[in-house]
Amino acid sequence: MTALDTFKAAFEASLTPSPTVITIGLAIVIFLPILLHLLFSATTPYTTLPSVLLIGPSGAGKTALLTLFERGPLYTPDAPPSADKPSVPTPVAKTHTSQAPSTVELAISTDKKTTTNDTNAASYRTDLDAAGATAKKFLLVDTPGHPKLRRHALSHLASASPTIKPSSISATSSETHKSKLKALVFVADAAALADADSGALASTAEYLYEVLLALQRRFHGRGGSRAPASVPVLVAANKLDLFTALPAALVKSQLEAELGRIRKARSKGLLTTGEGDGDEVGAGAGGEEGDGWLGAYGTEKFSFKEMMEFDIEVEVIGGNVLGEGPGADKWWNWIGERV
Amino acid sequence: MLDAFEIINTSGVVLWSRSYAAVSPSVVNNFISDVFIEEKSTVAGAKDGASAATNPPYKHDQHSLRWTFNKELGIIFVAVYRSLLHLPWIDKLVDNIKAIFLSLYGDQLKKPNTTIIECIKFDEYFEQQLQELEQGSSKSDTRAYIDEATSEDPGDDPPLPPALVTNQTSRDKSSAEASPVATPNVSRPSTPSASHLLVAKPGPGGKMSRRARKIQNTNSAPPSSGDEGPGRKGKPAKAAKRGRKWDADGLADETDDVQLDYSIPSGGEVDAGGRPGAVEEVDSSTWGARTKGKFVLRDLGDEVHSILADADAKKNAETKTEGSSGLVGSSLSAIGGLFRNVVGGKTLTKQDLEKAMKGMEEHLLKKNVAREAAVRLCEGVEKELVGVKTGNFESINARIQKAMEASLTKMLTPTSSLDLLREIDAITAPSATSLRKARPYVMSIVGVNGVGKSTNLSKICFFLLQNQYKVLIAAGDTFRSGAVEQLAVHVRNLKELTAREGGQVELYQKGYGKDAAAVAKDAVAFAAQEGFDVVLIDTAGRRHNDQRLMSSLEKFAKFAQPDKILMVGEALVGTDSVAQARNFNAAFGSGRSLDGFIISKCDTVGDMVGTLVSIVHATNVPVLFVGVGQHYSDLRNFSVKWAVEKLLSST
Repeated sequence: MTALDTFKAAFEASLTPSPTVITIGLAIVIFLPILLHLLFSATTPYTTLPSVLLIGPSGAGKTALLTLFERGPLYTPDAPPSADKPSVPTPVAKTHTSQAPSTVELAISTDKKTTTNDTNAASYRTDLDAAGATAKKFLLVDTPGHPKLRRHALSHLASASPTIKPSSISATSSETHKSKLKALVFVADAAALADADSGALASTAEYLYEVLLALQRRFHGRGGSRAPASVPVLVAANKLDLFTALPAALVKSQLEAELGRIRKARSKGLLTTGEGDGDEVGAGAGGEEGDGWLGAYGTEKFSFKEMMEFDIEVEVIGGNVLGEGPGADKWWNWIGERV
Repeated sequence: MLDAFEIINTSGVVLWSRSYAAVSPSVVNNFISDVFIEEKSTVAGAKDGASAATNPPYKHDQHSLRWTFNKELGIIFVAVYRSLLHLPWIDKLVDNIKAIFLSLYGDQLKKPNTTIIECIKFDEYFEQQLQELEQGSSKSDTRAYIDEATSEDPGDDPPLPPALVTNQTSRDKSSAEASPVATPNVSRPSTPSASHLLVAKPGPGGKMSRRARKIQNTNSAPPSSGDEGPGRKGKPAKAAKRGRKWDADGLADETDDVQLDYSIPSGGEVDAGGRPGAVEEVDSSTWGARTKGKFVLRDLGDEVHSILADADAKKNAETKTEGSSGLVGSSLSAIGGLFRNVVGGKTLTKQDLEKAMKGMEEHLLKKNVAREAAVRLCEGVEKELVGVKTGNFESINARIQKAMEASLTKMLTPTSSLDLLREIDAITAPSATSLRKARPYVMSIVGVNGVGKSTNLSKICFFLLQNQYKVLIAAGDTFRSGAVEQLAVHVRNLKELTAREGGQVELYQKGYGKDAAAVAKDAVAFAAQEGFDVVLIDTAGRRHNDQRLMSSLEKFAKFAQPDKILMVGEALVGTDSVAQARNFNAAFGSGRSLDGFIISKCDTVGDMVGTLVSIVHATNVPVLFVGVGQHYSDLRNFSVKWAVEKLLSST
């Protein structure tokens, strides 16, 4: 009886429009969503990191570059391995043909060489924890370069807001958080490009053409007034430590010439099934004039500058992963500026 | 001996490797792209957990590779060795290393966003395994070696009764010492420890070591001694004994073996299979304990054996639990399964997939995919999916659809670029730096009767003419009446159509009854002389299972040396497409195969384009063009996306 009475009283009080009830109600309405948000954001392992995509033909050195950046700060040639920090025996892991994309998390210094004038200040080798510099983390995503597996890379570029689902090495643990694509590093083998008969130039340029065209389509296919975030492209001319390698400037001109040739051949080529003919089911949007044409429509010679029209900045920088040479610091700096 | 052993993950990073001889990285690269990416070998594909013994060895150059694969973590274990050598223990090594590596570093491997695995210490484990297994085999080698030594000993031809054993041995020994061929080292049989060959080499008994090596190579299965026949239990103990004896330089005991071997010198391959491994599992602890200088190894050995035993036990337990789940448990899991089927997050098992895969197979068959291809595709997808977790709110069917789309795309996507115009340019106008001379680009077209060879040839010709090439059409069909005239009509039409655009086309014909290969060769020579850019050679249609007709294709390929051989296949044909594609692909002799397919009459089948899948599946040769109509312009580049969409559309 008494229990019922107290319950009744409490119920009545909760429905009376008294200031206490109103404040409590307001507090719940305001703070509950905030609490929920905090709870859920805490359970996701990371905040979304920006990501950089590594693409290029097979054998150009993508995976090697990835391991170089990852192992750079860990590799200490002289110091004995300490217990608290992992160390690696070599600066670059041996690599073979990749079959699956892989992701590593890297940190890059955001201080613009404030610490010292030493060139190493901006190197990937710097141990940022030790240096005490403010660091920005990002994900470096390596994709397989084998022609049958290129969809892994190209599928990222097709969508208007490119996102990347980082896949850890194990396929079972599927993390579903996505991260924003900030930049694209196209790794090319400068030594193979020099060999005219090997067909490396043609295949490399073909892949680069696909990539640039995908980026250009993305620019065209933007919905609404907001342009998609621009994705700058770095063509990393790798393997400059080899004697036969072309310097970066030559790599650039050769690739431009080859891209121009591909562009011309494509424009004269056959239609593709499912494109352009009206009775086919998959005709879709058809094609406006110059849809499949890379760069400014109608120009004779292709140059990377034309891509600026579509907000795609292309830069060619030479370097090498293995051996003696300019190294990979310039690429690292380039990534640092974009991230 | 083993040349290299590598542990690679699917993203291409070598996690751990050990090499004993220089092996070009291209060996492993080719292995990966052939077996895993292009799935060239017949039983290829990512089979999870299969032991190295069941995976077929991959051969490249002079190397053989034995491998095993762990799907969950995406790790490949590869052993590289010379094909000439026969290493019976190599499967065991690969499997054992896999078990050890996964149990030691499994936690590290599951970490996301890193490629670094700290496994410097793994060297020791590997060395231990390698030595152990090699010892297993070298032990048997030793025995074979002793066999041979005694049986070939000059002057001791008649077999002696067992009573004379000891005498025989001493005489053996003395004769061995006396003979100039044998090593002066008395303890010859005691040399084989781990490195049997290396020890034997420096001595003057070069002949002996060579013989021993020969035994090792040819006589893979060690001729076993007679006393081991009755039961296998005796082996381990005896093996351990022998190990001790060698250090002590005691030949007296070994004579038993020698004598018994001696009694059956030739027919001794009684119980060879799987023996080295069996010996190891049991006796290695005693081995390690008693052998001089192997104390370090013993600790590791114990650890390794416990790891291996664990792995075995786990495997056994898994198979057991599968059968013995109770009634309540099964019904509970069934309810949970139903719920998860809707919500997602379910780990797929073979039973879950079975029904859905059947449906997918039916669907593919309805799309005119040959049964053989459909079954293999479904098996591949099933293998890929077993053990995979579905995503949130993803049903099994949706997951299968996704996996099938991925595997179809992967299969149909060509490995190399198929830009015909660029290839022609590269041949007819090579760049200044290249050493090649300009010559006409030769293309020939083959196929079964009535699939549209001539029609597609003229379509390609029209396409080339629009690009201002100078084309020569060679009438290689010297058999069917009207074939040459048919081409002549095409050429006349094409001339009229493209006169304005600047293309040039001519017909090269020698009438009927001539040898087609000779005509083709003459045509190519003529084109080179007259400065044509492209030669298109038509051939007579032939039934693919008629050996007499098909055999002439080999000669044709040799005479005309075509840059591209294209086969025309009908989209209408069903199951037979597999046999057609296979036979034509094999008809050009070794070293030459088809370069591409043209699928004609695609406009007549709607979305039942399964023939595409069947032929690509059978041959791994890409589809170049698709014929979609009756006009000269109705030729299309093949788009993988289009085909996959049509195949999976459910109308």
